[in-house]
Amino acid sequence: MLVTQLKPEEEVLSKISGKRLFIFGCLGCKELYFPKEEVGKFVDSLKEEITGRAILDYLCNREFVKAYVGEYSKEIEGAELVLVFSCGVGTQVVSSLLESKLVYTGCDTLYLNGFQGLSVRNFNCNQCGQCYLNYTAGICPITNCPKGLLNGSCGGAKDGKCEVDPEADCAWVLIYKRLEKLAKLDTLTEILSPRDYNKNITEYLSQKEGVK
Amino acid sequence: MNETNLIDYTKFKLKPGEEIQEIFGTVARIFIVHCNKCYKRFEREDKEEEHNKLLKILGKDAGKIVGRIGVDFLCNDFLSSKELLSLDLSDCDGVGVISCGIGVQFVAQLLERKPVYALADSMQSANPTSGVAYHGISLESEKCAGCDQCYLNLTGGICPIVNCPKGLLNGPCGGAKNGKCEVNPNIDCVWGEIYERFRKQGGKLTLESVQIRDYSKPSLKLKKTLSLQNQNLRGEGFYGGLHPLEEKDQTKDKRLESFPEPEVAIIFLSQHTGRRAKPSVKVGDKVKVGQKIGEADGFVSVPIHSSISGKVISIEERIHPALKRKEPAIIIKNDMENQLDSSIQPRKDFESLSREILLKIIKGKGIVGLGGAMFPTHVKLSPPKKIDSLIVNGCECEPYLNSDNRIMIEYPGEVLTGIKIVQKTLQVNKIFIAVEDNKPEAVASLGNLLKTNIEIVSLKTKYPQGAEKVLIKRILNRDVPEKGLPLDVGVVVLNVGTIFAIYQAVIEGIPLIQRAITVSGESLSKPGNYLVKLGTPFRDIVHYCMKGEKLLNKYELKAGGPIMGIPQLSLDSGVIKGIAGLTVLRKPIVEVSEERDCIRCGRCVEACPMSLYPFHYAFYGKRDELEKAVKFKVENCIECGCCEVICSSKISILGFIKKEKEYARNSIKA
Amino acid sequence: MNFSEKLEGGKFLVTCEVAPIKGVNIAKVLDEEAEPLRGKVDGFNVTDMQSSVMRLGSLPVCHLLAQRGLEPIFQITCRDRNGIALQSDLLSAYVLGIRNVLILTGDYVTLGDHPETKPVFDLDSVSLLKVASTLMEGKDMKGNELDGKPEFCLGAVVNPGYDPVELQLIKMEKKIRAGAKFFQTQAIYDLETFEKFMKEAEKFKVPVLGGIIPLKSAGMAKYMNEHIAGISVPEKYIRMMAEAKKEERVKTSIQISVELIRGIKSLCQGVHIMPMGWKHALELLAATELA
Repeated sequence: MLVTQLKPEEEVLSKISGKRLFIFGCLGCKELYFPKEEVGKFVDSLKEEITGRAILDYLCNREFVKAYVGEYSKEIEGAELVLVFSCGVGTQVVSSLLESKLVYTGCDTLYLNGFQGLSVRNFNCNQCGQCYLNYTAGICPITNCPKGLLNGSCGGAKDGKCEVDPEADCAWVLIYKRLEKLAKLDTLTEILSPRDYNKNITEYLSQKEGVK
Repeated sequence: MNETNLIDYTKFKLKPGEEIQEIFGTVARIFIVHCNKCYKRFEREDKEEEHNKLLKILGKDAGKIVGRIGVDFLCNDFLSSKELLSLDLSDCDGVGVISCGIGVQFVAQLLERKPVYALADSMQSANPTSGVAYHGISLESEKCAGCDQCYLNLTGGICPIVNCPKGLLNGPCGGAKNGKCEVNPNIDCVWGEIYERFRKQGGKLTLESVQIRDYSKPSLKLKKTLSLQNQNLRGEGFYGGLHPLEEKDQTKDKRLESFPEPEVAIIFLSQHTGRRAKPSVKVGDKVKVGQKIGEADGFVSVPIHSSISGKVISIEERIHPALKRKEPAIIIKNDMENQLDSSIQPRKDFESLSREILLKIIKGKGIVGLGGAMFPTHVKLSPPKKIDSLIVNGCECEPYLNSDNRIMIEYPGEVLTGIKIVQKTLQVNKIFIAVEDNKPEAVASLGNLLKTNIEIVSLKTKYPQGAEKVLIKRILNRDVPEKGLPLDVGVVVLNVGTIFAIYQAVIEGIPLIQRAITVSGESLSKPGNYLVKLGTPFRDIVHYCMKGEKLLNKYELKAGGPIMGIPQLSLDSGVIKGIAGLTVLRKPIVEVSEERDCIRCGRCVEACPMSLYPFHYAFYGKRDELEKAVKFKVENCIECGCCEVICSSKISILGFIKKEKEYARNSIKA
Repeated sequence: MNFSEKLEGGKFLVTCEVAPIKGVNIAKVLDEEAEPLRGKVDGFNVTDMQSSVMRLGSLPVCHLLAQRGLEPIFQITCRDRNGIALQSDLLSAYVLGIRNVLILTGDYVTLGDHPETKPVFDLDSVSLLKVASTLMEGKDMKGNELDGKPEFCLGAVVNPGYDPVELQLIKMEKKIRAGAKFFQTQAIYDLETFEKFMKEAEKFKVPVLGGIIPLKSAGMAKYMNEHIAGISVPEKYIRMMAEAKKEERVKTSIQISVELIRGIKSLCQGVHIMPMGWKHALELLAATELA
């Protein structure tokens, strides 16, 4: 799930300083987090001339953005650059529709657990394409262990807490406990071979070859 | 819509045959759970592709499958838990899950004592890099790596991380041949594209300071904080629902003021659920304020009264603001003399009146539910089952509206008396007044007067908290049965405006001829909370509150709030009992449509307070297969509109739902 | 006798850690820290950017030690290099005269002074052990033939104080199957815990060298108790360090370490000393009569 934060102000100002702006703002994925107040305050504080603002939801939807680009074509034309407050997807959609215009983003985007687009969840999936969940009683070692270890814990977990993030449980301790409940500890004795990090690319390649 | 660019972002596919056979080799009886997928165009009914593929791989071993279930959005823990926990898994020794990693992990945690097997591998669609690339709430090709240090400002708006397998930030490697990436010759070298983009912008690609990616971002702490924040927001109060912008500041401090009397009143004979009233006057008759002009037709019906004094000039059909079709209305020309009918006789108190008399007055004065449904109140107060709780609904959860709010602030004593009257008719012990926490003055105002068995409940604001079924679940934790009513769980819910009208009817002797309405929205010169005589034409109100007449070009008028309000195409209709607000809004640049396809984003399922799966209504609605929507419990829908508001494809789901519900109603009759 | 032969010998072994510096003036370090222990320890562990702080690599330092005739144990972690580089480094180590390799997962990058850098962890300790074993058979991890085979004495790490300890034991067994011929442990302060651990571990019949970190101060003990997994310094030792006068600290520290070493002597096959900048390893060895 993608969410955004306002970029450090100096970074944005260095790009837009003194230029006439048109502003595109997303409302964030509805019911998710969007730094509305910070963006609002920042825009209000700008000394630059703003030729117009288009605020919409789902800035990642090309059809919607096209409609707004059409509606505000004059204002966009009159601006020297377009400033977008949205995640990386929205920004790229806008800039792909306004290719000859300077389009800048005012936001940094990060991701939260729980697949793209659906709501925030407690679990995440790294889309590794070679699901290990059958060896780990349904607890993903890749997304829950910062080191992504496949063969048991490192020695660093203290009181069952991860050495990298002491507020998180050590994934392998959780896996161990659950396998114990299921009386399947012998699963842990198997040596798992290293991950294929590029399964994604090779599959993408083979998919494309199959496309007419 | 350019459909050729839409991507199927299906997130999983079946594991290789050998792996599946190996898994099945270790079990004797297995139950299969499969997710019906997300983020691909919902073009046809699920033909159970994955399951058929599975059966083919298994051959004989297919006999080990003891049962299966297909779930929409398996990762929606709240709804999926309910489904999975209702299954009888006692005779299987394992559960196989066909879903992305999130679904498998969720099922494994839910069924901790049962071995859970992943039968699918997750996959990334259309991603030329090894890292994860996230799409938006759309099926567009643009993706984002969520790196928390956006480089788009340096690259003309094209992401190098998501599009370059090496994730290069400082220009291309030397490997691109004919503009194609050396790793994947099917894609363009992204740095070549970036260079082109700069050229189109009339500039040149000048690589700024050396960029080195900070892999410690996004920080775990930030992710955790935002995740928790969001989950708390969603989980508050009740499942589903939305937090639309409240927009109440415009009118929340405006005192109720009388709206100028109309020159002509349009009084519809149907201002309630049930049979419309029968006119008891004819053209040419003189009428007084509060005089009955239409008789109730049967038990579930109420009479109609004149809101002004004057002469009946016609009985004709007009477009009804709620029914949206022509309905008979009595048209009265105001003589501005304001003569009161003799039936208006105030009383000092109600204690001496019996329950039966009170109900007679309530019916006789034309009282109906003012929250919008316009259900005859005397019927609601004569339930066939025992009632143990009364909930006075002061939530007013729609944006813009403040009429109930102002009544609670300005007439708390009257509201309290009204509650006592209702208490007598229902003989109920426990009474709650539900107010959302965005109305602190109302809470304070009522709080000053409260006695013992009335409790004010201040609820965290969330739409549609004011919906009956949601409110009952929220306050009493009782589920109104499917196709049932609040009385089935011993509860009666009344809008606070209705309570005020009951007070006026019983104590002041005034029938329902006027009500509080919030006129609010965009470009209004005189937004406010008005006491409006029923029958006042919309045209009068728009002219009074809005500068200029260009209403229907760029704006739309909704009878009600912005979400559930009914769009009015004609200004020649008039105010009826159930209208709590008139909201003027600029027409959206992108309107909801019946034509767009659902992309299975699952947001409607996140937002439905009735735990329904609204995207099916869109799917079958578009295909005009209305009867199939009934299969998905469309009759439980409370028409709150959350699904339509949150729909990422802006499909008119509510429109489809209304059609499907009507179909269901008619087919019962047939 | 080299280290590998000594492991089979049965004598109680002693190894000591040498940490490379952040810089290039390594000769001085070797003169001051390694030379004095010549003949007194059976192997010198050279850490691989311990605590994720960028330093001179373990590989060149091991080579320099080997050149001086001091037996190195090359520590290699999975944090910084991918499978290709790790295999290459192993081959390089062999060519530079290194025979003993201690394979470990490695600390996370955020611990050190380059917290933004990309953590690799392409392989983990078990898979790297397997890969090293495969190289010894004359093939790389993809099955390609090598021109000549390296020979290693492979070791791994285990944390006896970890909870649940069974998880460490399961992994220990996997490491042995993957090729580990000896183990060095995380620092021991609680003999009872270590005894319980060794009771389970001795069935693997692989030599274990118990880790000892001499205490520098009470503060250090408290810090480790709070932040480092598997380390649990008992109250009595903390008190001893706290009550000792500044000039007595080294003596007290040696006293504690001697007690611990005496305790583990009957339980395992050697001791692995990790001075962490403490400059009195020689004195410690003298006190334990191991030198």
